[in-house]
Amino acid sequence: MIEVQHLTKRFVGRTAVDDVSFEVGKGEVVGFLGPNGAGKSTTMRMLTGYLPATMGTARVAGHDVFSDSIRARREIGYMPESVPLYDEMRVVEYLNFRAALKGLRGRAVKENVGRVMDLTGLKDVQRKIVASLSKGYRQRLGLADALVHRPRLLILDEPTNGLDPNQIRQVRSLIAQLSTEHTILISTHILTEVEMVCRRVIIIHRGKIRADDTPENLARSSRSAGMLTVEMKASAEEGSEALQGLAGIRRATAVPSAANGGWQQFEVKLDTGADPREEIAELTRGRGWPLRELRANQATLEDVFVEITQRD
Amino acid sequence: MRTFFILLTKELRSFFLSPVAWVVLAMFMAICGLSFSWSINILREKPQDQSIVQWTFVPVWFWLYYPFLFPLITMRLFAEEQKLGTLESLLTAPVRTWQVMLAKYFSAVIFYVVLWLPVLAYFGILTWILRGKVEIPQGALMGSYLILFITGLFHLALGSLASALTKNQIIAAILGFAFILLHFLIGVFVMQQAQDHQEFRPIMDYVAIKGHIESFASGLLDTRPMVYYTSGTLFILMLTHQVLEYRRWKS
Ligand SMILES: Nc1ncnc2c1ncn2[C@@H]1O[C@H](COP(=O)(O)OP(=O)(O)OP(=O)(O)O)[C@@H](O)[C@H]1O
Ligand SMILES: [Mg+2]
Repeated sequence: MIEVQHLTKRFVGRTAVDDVSFEVGKGEVVGFLGPNGAGKSTTMRMLTGYLPATMGTARVAGHDVFSDSIRARREIGYMPESVPLYDEMRVVEYLNFRAALKGLRGRAVKENVGRVMDLTGLKDVQRKIVASLSKGYRQRLGLADALVHRPRLLILDEPTNGLDPNQIRQVRSLIAQLSTEHTILISTHILTEVEMVCRRVIIIHRGKIRADDTPENLARSSRSAGMLTVEMKASAEEGSEALQGLAGIRRATAVPSAANGGWQQFEVKLDTGADPREEIAELTRGRGWPLRELRANQATLEDVFVEITQRD
Repeated sequence: MRTFFILLTKELRSFFLSPVAWVVLAMFMAICGLSFSWSINILREKPQDQSIVQWTFVPVWFWLYYPFLFPLITMRLFAEEQKLGTLESLLTAPVRTWQVMLAKYFSAVIFYVVLWLPVLAYFGILTWILRGKVEIPQGALMGSYLILFITGLFHLALGSLASALTKNQIIAAILGFAFILLHFLIGVFVMQQAQDHQEFRPIMDYVAIKGHIESFASGLLDTRPMVYYTSGTLFILMLTHQVLEYRRWKS
């Protein structure tokens, strides 16, 4: 659905997107992540034909977004980051206008506007002036606009930005619902959201792609993956020595802490793929060390994100 | 074409929803009404060489409101969209930049025409009141409207260009006014030169806007200004299109 090759965008004095290549297949839901200024919005603007690229090519549904822009744009529903809207119009007027602009006619306008207003919960405010809408409703209107012509590809730039937790939840479940019929490229800073709705994540940093995988695989590749926390009644030296003696354990370090009734915490780094929890339990039983915690650390997407984007 | 009309309808709606449009309309009607009754009074005092049409469109104070009209009409066109970022949603819909540009331009043209309609009505009413007694020179009237329409096309194009150049409406207005003033002064300069130097006369017939309005208001229709303003308008509109495209390239 999206094919991007060597896409580069230079602004005066800085390269916002630097030789980016990726593909998104039909039906995929891809999270596009990166810190502020990474180049997410710039990439999306090039894909939607708003900004020309300095170099490289991009195709949407087989149409080149630069040379065959109109046809490519017909396939895209785009929600820009700032959700620009015409303040003086009424909600339903705005959607009618956008639907007509995107090529719908007559009854199709009415039907589709009705459909997206139902979908995004705008029915109650359809007669309101856009200027009087709250942030959340503006966001919904932006989303409704992106959806109105039933595009095959949705490009959403931070659709949940600035929403309250309830609304974030609603938008998220809406996106999950949409993912059954649309291909979606979504940028966001809410990583738990990505873990929930995206089956693939692209992390971009300083204009370059640094990771491209499923959220699970990425989490597994994190440094904090493959760690155990062990808390038992043993001295720091004895405990770490005994733990390190077990197969599958690369390193065990005692976590320095104030005297705590003899309890001592250890951070255990494992060999890849190893899971020596059973052996540890046996060890403590054999040595007569009471054990009160034995926990495999769950690495999150956030860990990977932080590692990748703070590496340099 | 369909896209163009959808955009045009939207632009016209925004026009008549904006308070500036109504203020301009009201002020314009007031000024024209005053100017019109002033000409009637002058003509009532003693017979004049010039007709009522010339008295309405030629005197100095016509030039006190005429150049200000255009920046007020056009300042919003592109500047506001660039400021609000709506240009992004507009130009990522399947529409071409020139469709957007022409729709905006023609919405301004239509508003400008609407602005003159009341004045047309003044003359109509006067003709009706005076029917049979005094001739209103219809040729001069047609000429005046024609030249006001054609110079209007040109000035609205200049205003659109100014609005495409910035995202600040005030700057767009000032810039638009500067363009119009500059063009006017070039015309005045050429006219003055033409008094002493014969070789300036042909240029004057093309560019001197003040001269154009005066001659058309006296009922003399000349094709040269028409060619000049039409081609000028096309040129400025193409320039505006380039500016809109270029701003996307740059930003
Ligand atoms: N119009 C512009 N002119 C010059 N530089 C720009 C322009 N737009 C973006 N940039 C620069 O390009 C870089 C990438 O910006 P971009 O908006 O794509 O980041 P982003 O990943 O969307 O960030 P955020 O998470 O803050 O939205 C930034 O350093 C930004 O300053
Ligand atoms: Mg962004």
